[in-house]
Amino acid sequence: MKIYNNYILILTIALLLTTVVLTALGRGSLGFLFTAYLLEAIIITELFVYFNTKVRRQLTFVGAVLFSVFLAYFTYRLIDILT
Amino acid sequence: MLQRNSYTWAGLGLLVTGLPVAAVAFFVLRLTWLTALGVSMLILSFVLLALSRTIPRLPPEVGGLLLETGVDNMAKIVEELGIKGKAIYLPSSLTGSKPQALIPLHANPALSRITKTLPQRLIIRHGSRPDDIGLLFSTVGSATFTLLETKPRPTSVGLESALTTLLAGTLGIADKTRVTCHQKLITVEVFNSRLENRTNWCHDCLGGPLASIVATVAAEAWDQPVTVKYEEQTGGKCLIELEVTGEDIQ
Repeated sequence: MKIYNNYILILTIALLLTTVVLTALGRGSLGFLFTAYLLEAIIITELFVYFNTKVRRQLTFVGAVLFSVFLAYFTYRLIDILT
Repeated sequence: MLQRNSYTWAGLGLLVTGLPVAAVAFFVLRLTWLTALGVSMLILSFVLLALSRTIPRLPPEVGGLLLETGVDNMAKIVEELGIKGKAIYLPSSLTGSKPQALIPLHANPALSRITKTLPQRLIIRHGSRPDDIGLLFSTVGSATFTLLETKPRPTSVGLESALTTLLAGTLGIADKTRVTCHQKLITVEVFNSRLENRTNWCHDCLGGPLASIVATVAAEAWDQPVTVKYEEQTGGKCLIELEVTGEDIQ
């Protein structure tokens, strides 16, 4: 499945480049990096419009899991700032 | 549950590596960049495991064998009957079930217009004249069309989108398609096709597997009978010209 391989390759390069660039720029906080990863995963998935419904459903589930991790981290940080 | 394929193994490998890397980097080494690398490995492992669940259980080789058997049998029937006419790809509205191909037994340039639903039989009468007899076949395109989730729109963009979804997204047998329409002609270019087109009697009549898929989707999009006028494969690029037998499409 060539389209799957292209998707995985692009996602891997994007995640790796984000880590290198943001660390080099000194914006290497874990929360910031995770937010960037989440956005990249969602955008790249949306750009692959020719995925069939079954694949899209599975990837939406992965996106939802990642977003819930982000929300948990965000809530934790908010509580930390408020207290 | 989990299927055993290369995506599953790659996903499990990244999961098993990423989890300790992220944990050790975060709790012991306190290195943010290494933790982030571990987290990105975990994200990729989730994606790979999700994709692994969508891979068909049947190996592509088995699908290829079934296709070859079907096409061989069809070729024998066509060859034995000495049919030289081009097949007409009919939309589901004219066949009453799935889109199918009608091969007229007598090559007749003034083929009568099919207006009513044809019976679901192998040998059918498709017009009022005595020689309006033909064979109604299910083709590769008929089976492939069922994989499309929505009926394509009757525009070049709609057909292009449907074909790319089908050939690149679902079947993985080509990279992309380009469609142009002019009067009754539809020109389809399929890039980096991985289906080989053999030339035999049956293919002269029905067109190759790619042409069959493209003609079926086009017939269904415009809801009109379609014939394969021309087909050429050079390298990875396949050029298919279709003609709609009804009124002008654009």
